[in-house]
Formats: sequence, structure tokens, C-alpha cells
Amino acid sequence: MNAPSAPRPPAPPAPPALVARGLSKRFKTGRTHIEVLKSVDFEALHGDVTMVMGPSGSGKSTLVAALSGLLRPDAGSVSALGEDLWRYKAGRIDRFRLDHCGFIFQGFNLFPALTAIQQVEIILKYKGFSRSEARHKAATALTEVGLEMRMNQRPSELSGGEKQRVAIARALAKDPSLLFADEPTSALDGESGQVVIKLLQRAAKSFGAAVVCVTHDPRLESYADRIIHIEDGRILGDRRVVATASSLDQSRHSPVLVGA
Amino acid sequence: MSLALATLLYEWRRYTAAVVALAFSGLLILAQVGMFTGIVRAITASIDRSRADLMILAPKNESLINSGPDGLPQRIQPLIYLNPQVVEVESLDGDGARWVNTPAPGKKTVTTFVNTFDVDPRPGAVTLPVDYPESVRLALLEPYSVVIDQSAQKTLGTHLGATATLNGKTVHVRALLETYPNVNQPTVYMSRDTMRMLGMGPKNGKTGPLMVRLRDPARAQQVVDQLNAQSKGAYKAWTKADLAKANETALMSEQIIGIFLSFSVFLGFLIGVGITSQTLRGAILASIKEFASLRALGVSMGSLRWIILELSVWVGLAGLLATAVFTWLVYLLGQHGGLPMGFPATWVVGVATLLIVISIASGLLSLGILKKSQPADLLR
Repeated sequence: MNAPSAPRPPAPPAPPALVARGLSKRFKTGRTHIEVLKSVDFEALHGDVTMVMGPSGSGKSTLVAALSGLLRPDAGSVSALGEDLWRYKAGRIDRFRLDHCGFIFQGFNLFPALTAIQQVEIILKYKGFSRSEARHKAATALTEVGLEMRMNQRPSELSGGEKQRVAIARALAKDPSLLFADEPTSALDGESGQVVIKLLQRAAKSFGAAVVCVTHDPRLESYADRIIHIEDGRILGDRRVVATASSLDQSRHSPVLVGA
Repeated sequence: MSLALATLLYEWRRYTAAVVALAFSGLLILAQVGMFTGIVRAITASIDRSRADLMILAPKNESLINSGPDGLPQRIQPLIYLNPQVVEVESLDGDGARWVNTPAPGKKTVTTFVNTFDVDPRPGAVTLPVDYPESVRLALLEPYSVVIDQSAQKTLGTHLGATATLNGKTVHVRALLETYPNVNQPTVYMSRDTMRMLGMGPKNGKTGPLMVRLRDPARAQQVVDQLNAQSKGAYKAWTKADLAKANETALMSEQIIGIFLSFSVFLGFLIGVGITSQTLRGAILASIKEFASLRALGVSMGSLRWIILELSVWVGLAGLLATAVFTWLVYLLGQHGGLPMGFPATWVVGVATLLIVISIASGLLSLGILKKSQPADLLR
């Protein structure tokens, strides 16, 4: 595990992990077009948990889709880890995501037939790890999310919180520099939700990932480094949160993750 | 274990329809092949189980099944003895006759056309099948005695010890065989002498195909080559195995059977592809979010396609296993009902290939549905 970073890094000098300029996206519904993103500019830094908050239909998920290479914007550019993402062809973008991006969705999207460790292994194998390496890394990732005792369980034998932790292990096992989470806690009870957000925070603090998390959940605000408020396809607010000592402290030294 | 195999094993209920559809497609073909092959083997049983190592046929005959007149001039028989390996040469004379039973009181008369075959009841004779019980051989020594398979009793309206007529001459059913069922046409076996006394058998200086026993059966192929080299077009020698194969091929290419089988293959293909591809599509749709999450994590569409194709191959293999079980059950049923069945290796391999082709075609047809695995849809 990497050494924990300094107590609170004030705006690191390193270039931003993600820079988006002038992102626009329109969807056609019937005869009319709805402009979901209206020339949005966005930045996310390594080591930050950036929360994107806003009401339903505000465009926050579309923003994340465009930032992460899942949905091509109508206009604008995304520079991810210094690469101009949307100039690439689809296959190259797939490869970029495989190498650098982790995703956590509201639904856990785990294959019912696979055990927890197989869910993580499969993605590592596609990344090119050998069978034994993949198995080792998957076991490590599951241990990090506190599931070392549940590695051989299938999703049907896991609680909602445990499933989400498997999904997080799957996203984190390949050491992503960019981690996108879409409402990761909305299907979970409060306690499990806390465990999940702490894991996201640890990914940012300990591994330096840029975490972009879309959420409705006001309880998560206290874990964010930065909160972006989006409404009607425009960013209305962008503020940095001064971290509370307790939340940071918990995030670094919270080996007890059971009970999720 | 791969994702495809794990999914098939874990969610087997979802794939049952496809596996059963494949199994019935396979069974549809194999059961017919089995039956037709069984018919051929019943017809040629007396040859397959004789002591002959070689058969001599007329030169233009490509098999014993519907290949035209199979008579050989009587002068061929001594020619065969010229080969030093040959120990015994006998003709296998078959004929047909009208069978009329002697009905039991209150029963109707059965009049039917039967095949007749002669065997030589001398111990160790080349035409005497090896699986004839001694009691049958002894029964055949009696003039005007005939032997039938026990499964033919009902068709012929007769039983052991009964009397009937063949072409108007009285014969007696003196023994029953157990391993010569023939669903196509009942066969009546008799001694060479009885056949002659009934006015059947060799006519006009022609005999049936010749059965040849060799000193060393292992040299059959060599002797066949020698005989054919010397035949000057007067006859053609066959090893027993080659002839059996030719007989099966000849029956399968009979027009009506060919139509049956082609139609079955066509139908099996359509049903198999229809049901299997729909099952696969349903299964993919059910897991579309999981596939989309793999896409989000950077797994390419090509890799997902491979997963589907691998899954379809596993479904095909499961279908193959089910076909084997079903066919075995049908075979047992056939045995129980006195219907001999045979499964030539070429057909078994062909059907296995067909099932795998069906399942891969179904996999290819269902690939389109993967386009629905849009990871952006997972973000709401």
C-alpha cells in the first residue's frame, strides 16, 4: 500500500487528472432536442474525491459518461491523464478505460454465476495479467474492501453492501487513476453506504486516484474534497470542502469494514 | 473456469430449452439413421455373421441393396478355388415367396411376401451364421423345415411347430431365431435342400453372391486384390467390412430415405437454430447490465462476442450429451420392441458436427443483441 499522503494536500501542483472544456450533449426526444450539457467546463485532481450533485435530469450522469469515455459529447473535449480522449477511436477508448478507469454503478452488475474473486479476476485477465497474478491481485483487492472471508461466495449469497464492495474491488483491483462512481450508495443502507464512501475516499487518498462521484446523498458531502453542483446542464457551484478531521481520520485508519 | 461455462452451469435452467432443442434435432436424425441402418443390418445379418471372409458379387453390383440382379454365372465358383488361400466357396441364394399361414380357429389367414434365404446346415459351413444355435442347425436338416425370427411370428401369423405354405408348398416352422429381427420384411430361413425342393434358389445357371472362407482371415484384403486382379471383369470380390459399408451407404442414398434424412437435417437445423438463438438472446439480455459493466471497465466488444460464442459452443456440447442420452433411450426402447438399430460412426460424427454448427450459428445470430450493452445506460 502506498504511503498515505500529507494531512491535507493544498491543490497539488501536478496537472489535473481530468480536464473537460465546453462539453455539450443533446438528446432527441420525439421532435424536440433536450440539451443535457451546456458547454460544461470541469476539472478533477488526483487524490480528490469530487462529488457531482444535482437534481434528477440535471445532466450529472451524462457529464460522467462524457468524462469517462462512455458517451461521445456533441461538442467539447476531454483530456484524461493528458490524453485527448474523444479524438481516439472506440477501440482505443476501450483500451484507455481498461488501463486507467474504474467504475462503480448504483446497481452492482455482478455476474450471478461468478464468485466474488472470479468477478474481480475476470477483469484482471482482460487487462493482461496471468491467471496466478490475477488471482493474487483479486484476493488483495477483496481483502482491502474487507471481504477476505467472502471471496468464494456468489452474489446471491452476499448482502447489498458486500456486493457493492465486490464491485469496488473489481474497479480498484486494476489500480485505476480515474474512478467514476454513479450513485454508489443509493441502493444501500446508511452503514453500508458509509463503508463504500470511505473506500472511495481511500482510493483517492492512498492511491492518488481522481474520484468523481455522482450522488444525491447529502450524507456523502462530508467525505468530499470538492462539491460540484450541476443543474439544467450547467455547473452552478464548485466549492472545496475543508475536510473534517474525523472523516479523514476514519478513511485512513478504518480496517473495520465489516457489517456492510 | 471461464465466465461462459460458469454461467451455463450456474444458470442451467435458462439454457434447458436450447439444450433440449439441440438434443431433439440430433435425435430426429439419429433415430432415423439408426432405424434405416438397423434395416440394412437385418437384411445382411446372415452375411455379417457368417464364416465368410470375402464376398464375390457380380462386377457391376455396388452393394447388396437394390443394385440390380446379383446373379453370378455358376462357373465362377470353381474359379475362386484357384486361389490357394481359399478354403470354401458357397453361394448365398435368396429368393422371395408368398407365405400363407395356417390360421388358428377363428383367426384370419395371413398372406404376405417373404424373403427366403438358404443356409448350409452342415457343421462349420461357410453360409451357416456363427450365432445359429445347434438346435436351429439340427432343425434345418429336416426337409421342408423353416426357421424364422421370433419377432416375425406375429407378422406371419405363425408360431413354433406350426405349418404354413411357401408358394403353395407346405413347410414347418421348426425353430425360432432371436437375433434376426427385420422390421422391413419378414425373412424365412431354410436349408439349401429345402429351398431346391420348394422350387426356389439358383436358376438359369446363375447363383447368388458367393461366400468365401479363407485359410487366414487376416489376409482377406490381399486375397480380394488378387481375385480382382484376375477377374477380367467377370466378378468383383469384397471384404465383408467393405461390403457392409457399401450396403449402408446404398440404403442411405435410396431416394426416399435420402429425402427423409435431408428434410430431417433441414428441420433439425431450423428448429435448433431458432430455439437456441432465442435462448441465447434471452440469456444475453438478462445479463446485459453485467456485460455493460465489463464494457465500462474497458473490455472490448470483441471480447464479449467471444464470451457469447464460447457459451454457444458449451450449449452445443451440452446438447450433444443430451442427444447421446436420448438416443441411447430410444435404442433401448427399440431393442425392447425388437427393432434393431445401428449408428454408423460417420453419421454420429456428422450429427455431432451439425449440432455444434447449429449452436455456433445461433451464437452468431444472437451477437447483435450485445449492442444493447451500452455502459452509458448504466449511468442514470
